[in-house]
Amino acid sequence: MSVGQVAAKPLVWLVRAYQLVLSPMRPATCRYYPSCSAYAVTALTRYGLLRGTWLTIRRLGRCNPWSPGGVDHVPALPGHPDDADLVARHIPHETTT
Amino acid sequence: MGDFFNSLLYPIELLVAWIMYGFHQAFTTIGLDPASGLAWGLSIIGLVIVMRAAMIPLFVKQINASRKMQMIQPELQKIQKKYKGKTDPESRQAMTQETMALYRQEGTNPFSSCLPILVQSPFFFGLFRVLNGLQGISEGTKDPIGPITKAVASQAESATLFGAQLSDKFIGAETTTTKIVTILLIVLMSATTFTTQRQLMTKNMPASALDNPFAKQQKLIMYVMPVVFAVSGVNFPIGVLLYWFTTNVWSMTQQFYVIRRMPAPGSAAEKALHERLAKRGKPIPGEAERKAREAAEAEEAAERTRQRVQPKGKKRAKKSGPGSTPAKAKQTDN
Repeated sequence: MSVGQVAAKPLVWLVRAYQLVLSPMRPATCRYYPSCSAYAVTALTRYGLLRGTWLTIRRLGRCNPWSPGGVDHVPALPGHPDDADLVARHIPHETTT
Repeated sequence: MGDFFNSLLYPIELLVAWIMYGFHQAFTTIGLDPASGLAWGLSIIGLVIVMRAAMIPLFVKQINASRKMQMIQPELQKIQKKYKGKTDPESRQAMTQETMALYRQEGTNPFSSCLPILVQSPFFFGLFRVLNGLQGISEGTKDPIGPITKAVASQAESATLFGAQLSDKFIGAETTTTKIVTILLIVLMSATTFTTQRQLMTKNMPASALDNPFAKQQKLIMYVMPVVFAVSGVNFPIGVLLYWFTTNVWSMTQQFYVIRRMPAPGSAAEKALHERLAKRGKPIPGEAERKAREAAEAEEAAERTRQRVQPKGKKRAKKSGPGSTPAKAKQTDN
């Protein structure tokens, strides 16, 4: 695990806490799959604090009422398969709902 | 980090302060006692109304999206049929992904997006900080926020609602009245959230969506929520609780309207709407399309059975004579 990934851990816990406590109290809102919080967890664990945060901010900006939404996964690491592909083929992977 | 958040939140605090002060001025002008809890309490409710009214365009957009959802029902049902009875996480994920891809392809999306809640939360924090800071400002230990000067702050801070001060919290409450008012507000808050959630689950979800582990988890959380509110609510000043409660009432009413007028396809609320429409003798939306679709499907099925009939030579056909047409082919005439 890189320094960036370790540094991202507290943020990942924060998002997880949101998913466990706050999110269930509210109706489903996200226009994307995976949802913004799941995207944040994957982005932070995959790319570390800096790039993970940047990817998350950009995704949150995309998740506005004027966007069409749809399927939008965190970019795959070079040499790794695309998440959309894994999901479509029912292969277990790190992305959560 | 703390300083960073302070400077980030300050403009929002200022805006919250101005909206509240503006409402307070307006209520005073129409004759309310400026030092009363009613004037300040109504100012908080006014703040909620301004914020939620600003989001009405988003609400309208969502309603339009739900109209369009009716049109993509056949495709949605195809996906649901494909994953019927499959509850393993991989299948659920694949199903969600396919559904979302369909929304994008059809240019409609039933979800409101994440940005509005992100925009709203700083206002909640802003209000929390304004109400939390009232005592400090009135005592001179904190800087005034825009129009909330030392004098205004001490007036607002000592304003009482049913005998409890707006800046009072359950924790550290000195009077029983304060405790009763905070508990009452927490109960009301929990009740409104619970009702909103329950209404959504029991009335506006198709039976197929309720029969999976996620829905069961959601249901459990629905019952745990009031406990969470009770635990966190004791730390919030009465003003914040009032804000929270008003927002909940707004959400509940809005949802009630949507469920009554534009229920989710296949839900109990849709059935009720169709029954109401039938009683009044009004056409049921989507019914004509549904009938047409069913007719087309029947036609297609008939086409298949027709093809199954072996072609006959003229001679054989003559031999079998009239009345011996295959029974299956007869069905197609219906």
